[in-house]
Amino acid sequence: MSVVPLRSGVQTEPSSGHAQPVAMIEIDRVSQMFETSGRRSHLALSDISLTIEDGAFVSILGPSGCGKSTLLYIVGGFVTPTAGIAKVKGKAITGPGPDRGPVFQEFALFPWKNVLGNVMYGLRQQGVKRAEAEAQSRRLIEMVGLKGYESFYPKELSGGMKQRVAIARTLAYHPEVLLMDEPFGALDAHTRTRLQNDLLNIWERDRKTVLFVTHSVDEAVFLSDKVVVMTRSPGRIKQIVDIDLPRPRRRADLLLDPHYQKYVVDIEKLIDDVLEDELHP
Amino acid sequence: MSASLLGRRLSPLLACIGLLCIWQVAALVLNTDSFPTALEAIRTIPSILGDHEALLNILDSLRRMVIGLVLAALVSIPLGLMMGRVRAVASFFNPLLMVVYPVPKAALMPVIMLWLGVGDVSKTLVIFLGVSIPIIYHSFQGAKAVEEKMLWSGAAMGLSAPQRMFRIVLPAALPEILTGCRTGLVLALITMVTSEMIARQNGAGNILFNALDMAQYETVFAMIIIIGAMGIILDAAFEKLRGRLVRWSEPDFDIPLSFS
Repeated sequence: MSVVPLRSGVQTEPSSGHAQPVAMIEIDRVSQMFETSGRRSHLALSDISLTIEDGAFVSILGPSGCGKSTLLYIVGGFVTPTAGIAKVKGKAITGPGPDRGPVFQEFALFPWKNVLGNVMYGLRQQGVKRAEAEAQSRRLIEMVGLKGYESFYPKELSGGMKQRVAIARTLAYHPEVLLMDEPFGALDAHTRTRLQNDLLNIWERDRKTVLFVTHSVDEAVFLSDKVVVMTRSPGRIKQIVDIDLPRPRRRADLLLDPHYQKYVVDIEKLIDDVLEDELHP
Repeated sequence: MSASLLGRRLSPLLACIGLLCIWQVAALVLNTDSFPTALEAIRTIPSILGDHEALLNILDSLRRMVIGLVLAALVSIPLGLMMGRVRAVASFFNPLLMVVYPVPKAALMPVIMLWLGVGDVSKTLVIFLGVSIPIIYHSFQGAKAVEEKMLWSGAAMGLSAPQRMFRIVLPAALPEILTGCRTGLVLALITMVTSEMIARQNGAGNILFNALDMAQYETVFAMIIIIGAMGIILDAAFEKLRGRLVRWSEPDFDIPLSFS
């Protein structure tokens, strides 16, 4: 575990270019309680504090039921925390907004709109003129590798293609933060790898802040600057691991990289500890 | 046109011809005045449709049916969608609808006639009541099934709650809503005839039951064919419209209930 640097407090982001790191998202002692059937309440998140710097790619990693998606929904403004406060650019989050764009595992595309219609939707909502929205959307569709599929409807597309559309639809309205909720969880391994590579390529261009929820250790290490490892019941942050691997990263190159392997193994061990703790508290 | 497509197009026609053949044989075997043969009934149709008075009656019926159906859709769709998305609205209206559901709406006709007379208003109201519940129910189901994450995606784009209702819930629930409207269309036709059976003033149902009173059985059965044909044509037209509106959700096959 010694290689994995323990992170406490804020640290400068090497890629940000700012002397002082700018906090994009601040999560301050957030707890989330859910009422379950039988009038018992379940503590999904307990006292979570986390700061995410502008331009950082941060993954939240943990077993299912550790509240990692809930944390993302709180940042999205879709769920209001029971206690604590979440802020984006210093302002308390009171609801969803176009500064934070979600991408869900379930794609959540609008099935009555074709690919172009889906990608244009957010831009039109922001008041962008049709011709301009269409031109921008066509460029984005090309960027996610779906040129020629503009007039296809979601049900005519494969899972991987749907997720490409969903990513383009969210990128279209220029959110400052991408909130990705296990976006590649429903895809086969091959498609997942391709989308991970493509996501990194897209991210390298404009370095948006990304909050990425996953239960895959490989995926988290490969993509992220920081991996937040969570425990379950109640959801707590076990450790924050900095991933100090050079970018741009290619998956094929990284797989043999001993540093990458070390990160993966160390985090696997951390998660084993987490499970051990749960069995023998 | 491929053989299978030809078969699909022709089979409803063959089914109708088969039914008429059975009718013809049964009428010849039974041989009573009150059961004319299919051919006799069909021969009577032109005289009904050629009669100016009868045609106006049938058009009156259709007008009431369309008005009743459209008004019901205008009220029921928003109500059903609200019930599907707002729990309080659902728990308020659900018990009310449960009480109203099993009541045959035509049975309310005598009471409504006492209040509103035997004219268009009463009949249209009964049609309205008759078709509302399936449309409400299907709109409700459709709205309830809308994926939460789809609404969240819309909210993140900046859609307000009413905008999400109109621009996400409504289109997402549209296939289910139109299924309700299709059921409503058939019910509207049934309620239309029943209402005219009770409030005998004019309309297709009136022609039918007047003929029955006067023992003109050919006319009775001719009217049954005409009403049945109206149902088939309206349903086919509606299916065409529905197919166009929700092509994006169409499964790969459809039950060929209509001629479309």
